[in-house]
Amino acid sequence: MADKKTKNVRKGPRPPLQKWLLPVVLGWLVPGGGHFYLNRRNHGALLLFAVAGMFFFGLMMRGRMFVPESGDLFTTVVNYGGYIGDLSTGLLYFFATWLGYSQPLLASPVADYGTKFLVCAGLLNILAMVDAYEIAVGEKP
Amino acid sequence: MFLALSHLQAALLFAFFTAIVMGVIGRDSDRERLHYAGYVFGCFVAAIVGISWLMYLGHG
Repeated sequence: MADKKTKNVRKGPRPPLQKWLLPVVLGWLVPGGGHFYLNRRNHGALLLFAVAGMFFFGLMMRGRMFVPESGDLFTTVVNYGGYIGDLSTGLLYFFATWLGYSQPLLASPVADYGTKFLVCAGLLNILAMVDAYEIAVGEKP
Repeated sequence: MFLALSHLQAALLFAFFTAIVMGVIGRDSDRERLHYAGYVFGCFVAAIVGISWLMYLGHG
């Protein structure tokens, strides 16, 4: 039991920054970019398709981008959490906001789904960045 | 352009994209990845249909 629990605990020193920083940053800026950099082109293409696809469907459903807004605890957690999710799509987010995408809060369930699509695209990209990190440091074949 | 999807269409689309990412990062060989992506998509669909029926029946 104890062996099973400690199986995935890394025992060696922390991997050097230069080994994983570039793939992780590329993966943040362009979904799948870290995988492209690490010569996993098919995986990178699939991740790009999935994350960008979810992001564009979110835009087409007129989802709202979160802004970091404080208030009571719930408002703060939701807005900052959503903002981090939106920001995690990297250049997709920056291009969309730079080109003027700004959606007010609409009383429409479809727009609400769109907001969730935009945030979840970022969360999926975080998973892809973690995968790129694991490949870069050799924790994953 | 405004895309007016139904709840079911949006949920299936969400399941599709999420299953792709989970499949790519979740397993080590391509065959396992394909199976895992299909499994994740199937779980999403089962949850969508199951919870929808629960809400329908629970609502009376």
